[in-house]
Amino acid sequence: MCPPVHFGVLYEINPWMHREVRVDADKTREQWDGLVANLRAAGAEIEVLDPQPDLPDLVFTANAGTVNHDVFVPSRFRHPERQGEVAHDVAWFENAGYRIEHLPDDVSHEGAGDTLPFGGVFVSGYRYRSEAGAHGPLSRLIGAPVRPIELVDPRCYHLDLTFCPLDDRRALVAPHFWDSYARKVVEALVPEPFALHDEEVLAFCANSVVVGTTIVMPTCPPRVGRQLEAWGFDVVVSPVEEFQKGGGACRCLTLALDVAVGSGGGGRAPSSPPPSTDGGAAR
Amino acid sequence: MASEVVEVEGHIIDSLILAKILDVILDSGADYRLLDFDIGRTNTDSSRARFEVTTDDEDLLATLVAELHIHGANRVATGDAVTVAADTDGVLPEGFYSTTNLATEVRLDGRWGPVANPEMDCGLVVRPGGLVRTIPMHRVRTGDAIVVGNDGVRVRPMSRPRGPSPFEFMNSDVSSEKPKELLVAQVADRMRLARAAGGRILAVCGPALVHTGAAPDLARLVREGWIDVLFAGNGFATHDIESHVMGTSLGVPVVNALPLEGAHSNHLRVINEVRRRGSIANAVADGFIPGGVMYECVRLGIPFVLAGSVRDDGPLPDVITDVVEAADAMRELVPGVAVALMLASTLHAIATGNILPAGVETFCVDINQAVVTKLADRGSHQALGIVTDVGLFVRSLADHLVPAP
Repeated sequence: MCPPVHFGVLYEINPWMHREVRVDADKTREQWDGLVANLRAAGAEIEVLDPQPDLPDLVFTANAGTVNHDVFVPSRFRHPERQGEVAHDVAWFENAGYRIEHLPDDVSHEGAGDTLPFGGVFVSGYRYRSEAGAHGPLSRLIGAPVRPIELVDPRCYHLDLTFCPLDDRRALVAPHFWDSYARKVVEALVPEPFALHDEEVLAFCANSVVVGTTIVMPTCPPRVGRQLEAWGFDVVVSPVEEFQKGGGACRCLTLALDVAVGSGGGGRAPSSPPPSTDGGAAR
Repeated sequence: MASEVVEVEGHIIDSLILAKILDVILDSGADYRLLDFDIGRTNTDSSRARFEVTTDDEDLLATLVAELHIHGANRVATGDAVTVAADTDGVLPEGFYSTTNLATEVRLDGRWGPVANPEMDCGLVVRPGGLVRTIPMHRVRTGDAIVVGNDGVRVRPMSRPRGPSPFEFMNSDVSSEKPKELLVAQVADRMRLARAAGGRILAVCGPALVHTGAAPDLARLVREGWIDVLFAGNGFATHDIESHVMGTSLGVPVVNALPLEGAHSNHLRVINEVRRRGSIANAVADGFIPGGVMYECVRLGIPFVLAGSVRDDGPLPDVITDVVEAADAMRELVPGVAVALMLASTLHAIATGNILPAGVETFCVDINQAVVTKLADRGSHQALGIVTDVGLFVRSLADHLVPAP
């Protein structure tokens, strides 16, 4: 995670961003600290990336790249506004002992924001930020299958706004934000999906972080909460409205380091914690 | 027609990406042809598919290729064509690009340009200034820039002929069980259409045309301007002349077909007399040849090539006995030809088929199914075999195009 020292809406690269909207710095810090506390309480360990001036979206570490085992594949951001983040992300992962593998430079792909592990494969969104052409190379670099999912609503420009794996059988899904082929792919992959209503999706419900059996959510409508509790999860609501002005919520503010799908690229990173689940949950 | 080769790789089967891409192509009205498909052995192996996408026009193709790119299918990068200078006269460099008879384009300096004269089984030579032509092996000269490899070369698939056409009517390439009168009418229509569009009509003639009594009908077509180019051998020209000078074809009277004493040598005497005059044109000029197909060609200035063969009697002085030279002479007359009639000729028809671009509508008429099949299989994409007696066919065709006054 990256503290929101320089966070703000300084440009507009998704439908949520409006430069005239002011971000409250105190509230921002308060919400970020709250999220960190909630994640820690759920059992996660937090690693911190140093904030950088002029890179307001560095807080959304989900987009730093794709992690699997000891491999880190840095993002290739579609928008120039975010391309400056890559060097800082790479430096952190190099320092942490990860093997850095680069995507070809003619495809864009925005990391874990568009790539979520489920059932032994990665599901990866494309159209608005990541390109479908990135999936073949990404799969080779991370040593695991990648199934592309076409996103069809620019408000949900990253997969992690529409899909939240909960464990090895369940996930929150937003089928209205995918094309018909993608719906079939997820239907075949996820044994017990819970379909979010559009307004729940647009309240960033799916952009939640799962730590073991705790789900840290930006908001939780009663209908969703009842289902999650019925499944045995503990729901913790951690409001992040200030960050939603930039188009991201809880999940976007984190990057799971304990992802281990398939054979991966080899052994684990020396300084990374042992892989626990396929769930990609933050520790 | 426009086409591009695109490639997609990854977990394209489980993710339904391949299915989606193929649906996108078909939904847009375009078509595809799968070129390669490597399917991963397990569900963790990635798969790769390469296919050629074809549309009716370039704009649609560009839109479609952009749409396919979104789904991860990329145009296969194509570089410029590579050329190597020939180092020996009459020899193509190793690895030369071997041509088809389809319309072909070559990429030079990043731009696709057409090959001037599509012909199968040739090389491609890039002339100074960037003009690309097909070149038969024997015409290569040291220093010619010859295209090698397949990079930067693409062929354009044939578009189907528009409008009612005997090719659609047929559904198969050979016609032994089709109503001949209807076919003749449709061939006549194609000739009218070709003529209206400024195309030329080529007749390739075998001696059976004369034996079956069809020469006067063909002469009628030539006289009325329906034939622009004529290819034949020594036999056809000889018997055409013999039938007008002596009244026989290979010694048999064309009128009553009753054998005549000593007529077996008629054709030799005719050849001998034409040789005495130095050319068919001279023999027409001095009145020795009073009529017939060759007579009409000479009188109207219709260009013809008589190509020799090893079994020829004589031959007539106009026969080109060097076959390479003969093929070159035929090549000179091919540009502009839109319809080719192969009339009871096997060898000359095949030789002609080899040098015609695929777009030329070719009608092969022969009584022998095997000959027709062989001709139709020569690779011309619009070749129609018509199994029938050439005499009846040509008479009927002439009646369609040149109605009796």
